[in-house]
Amino acid sequence: MKEILFISGKGGTGKTSLTSSFIHLADQCIACDYDVDASNLPILLKPKITSTCYFSAGQTALIDENVCNACGLCAEICRFDAIDTNLQIIPLACEGCAFCEKICPVKAIKMQPRPSGKWYSGVFNRDQTIFFAELKPGEENSGKLVAQVKTVARKMAVADQLPIIIADGPPGIGCAVISALVGVDLAVLVAEPSRSGFHDLQRIYQLLQQRNIKSTLIINKWDLNPVISRDIESWASWHMIPVAGKVPFSTLVANCIAAARVPATDSTIHKMLFPLWENIMKQLTVI
Amino acid sequence: MQIAVASGKGGTGKTLISTTLMKVLNDERVVLIDADVEEPNAGLVFNQSPLTTSVVHRLVPTIDPDYCTLCGDCAAICNFNALVVIPDQVLVFNELCHSCGACVALCPQSAIRETKHPLGVIEDTLVPGCGTLSTGRLNVGEALSPPLIKACKQKAPGAPTRIIDCPPGTTCAMIEAIKGSDYCLLVTEPTPLGRHDLVLSLEALQLLNIPGGLVINRWQGNDQYLSDLSRRTGFPILARIPFSPELARSYMRGAETLEAMPELRCIMTDIIRQIKEAV
Repeated sequence: MKEILFISGKGGTGKTSLTSSFIHLADQCIACDYDVDASNLPILLKPKITSTCYFSAGQTALIDENVCNACGLCAEICRFDAIDTNLQIIPLACEGCAFCEKICPVKAIKMQPRPSGKWYSGVFNRDQTIFFAELKPGEENSGKLVAQVKTVARKMAVADQLPIIIADGPPGIGCAVISALVGVDLAVLVAEPSRSGFHDLQRIYQLLQQRNIKSTLIINKWDLNPVISRDIESWASWHMIPVAGKVPFSTLVANCIAAARVPATDSTIHKMLFPLWENIMKQLTVI
Repeated sequence: MQIAVASGKGGTGKTLISTTLMKVLNDERVVLIDADVEEPNAGLVFNQSPLTTSVVHRLVPTIDPDYCTLCGDCAAICNFNALVVIPDQVLVFNELCHSCGACVALCPQSAIRETKHPLGVIEDTLVPGCGTLSTGRLNVGEALSPPLIKACKQKAPGAPTRIIDCPPGTTCAMIEAIKGSDYCLLVTEPTPLGRHDLVLSLEALQLLNIPGGLVINRWQGNDQYLSDLSRRTGFPILARIPFSPELARSYMRGAETLEAMPELRCIMTDIIRQIKEAV
């Protein structure tokens, strides 16, 4: 079983459009959305939800006012300003370190499990499975929720002997991305030919190198700036990153997204993306 | 006044809005803070090299083997599993540490002290005629962005206008970035994906009780859903920026956006007026 992750650093470069399309082109696969705080793949794939699981990670402090003697030590030692001057816990600020619980001289503080979000499995296209999640707004632990989604997807891929997991990654280079990269066989870098797109591409590539993950590149909407697009190509060849292909800007794709449809369900886009998919599969077989 | 520019979905135009806002304000006392520390892009718009760069650290535990008795208390105390005791030493996993200080304070032998671990940098750039840009830049490989965002936001607390270019999403990083703002602009695009993520970021805004308004970018006429959402939630639509391939192209190559779309100046002035009325 192999796992492919679509990733870009910058948001809005077209990860979800491409991921959903390649899921459509693949024969057998499990779909995954690791962007747990703004999950968009299900909007296009429109799965029927088959199971919902609550996810809890970390803890929040709770002060028992009947026991508390208002000494204020907890507020003094908390580094996250999560206990205010009235000795009330501010749940959004609490990181769940439990320092206050341990230092409280009258044992008035207890740590409570913290509901962080939900993860789902669903069925689309009659018999294909998707895993995705929703982090509660403002929560931490996006990395742990990503890991949870990854674990269940991998288990299912092994049990059902499915050859491939195709995953849509989160933007950025932080904890959610680092967690999404675990065990990935091939990262497909989706870049747009803008100065910020190129800048962010280099940062995410640096992270891939640190983690020793193979990559291939797609330049999306390349014709919007052929000059930067060429710069990205020479950068890629300098770093020996194979280019799976370049996708021109197309109002057809925009129309599909506006209608919440997978772009590759359109025959013109299907034809345009098919060679890229073959290239990605070729990359995957040499790994 | 502190104005946060945020959005649930990435690539909707946060940096375009915050940098153009800065240009239109045309006041040297304005400070723009690029709090999208994972992928900071505001600096690319102005094309100036930073005047100063300062390293931001966070504190991580270091064990003094001369005093450590390998009792294992620190590993039991740490709620993030950042400390592991093996037969002959204590291992510290810096990337898991939240710098809470519990192990340091509670070690029975006082064998733990805190050392600085570099997290990223803050680059201060002078933008002639527009003010100052402070960019947070997370070191590649670091997982925790909120402490760096917090450090960025301590810059120029007395500036009359501070604009925060926020990270995408609705997690703790976004909360850290918008916290303490007087107003939050939520930038969205009129696609099903943009709408879905907008609803989530509205929830985050309501958690913090920050007043906010919507800016619809790449507007193409029909926005029934967004007007309904605005009416239902009470977050006004402050502006509609029409879709313009010309603007997209010039923004991509880093050219002047106000030249590509002169009406952007009026739109921004109007946004500023509405924020001032609301705050």
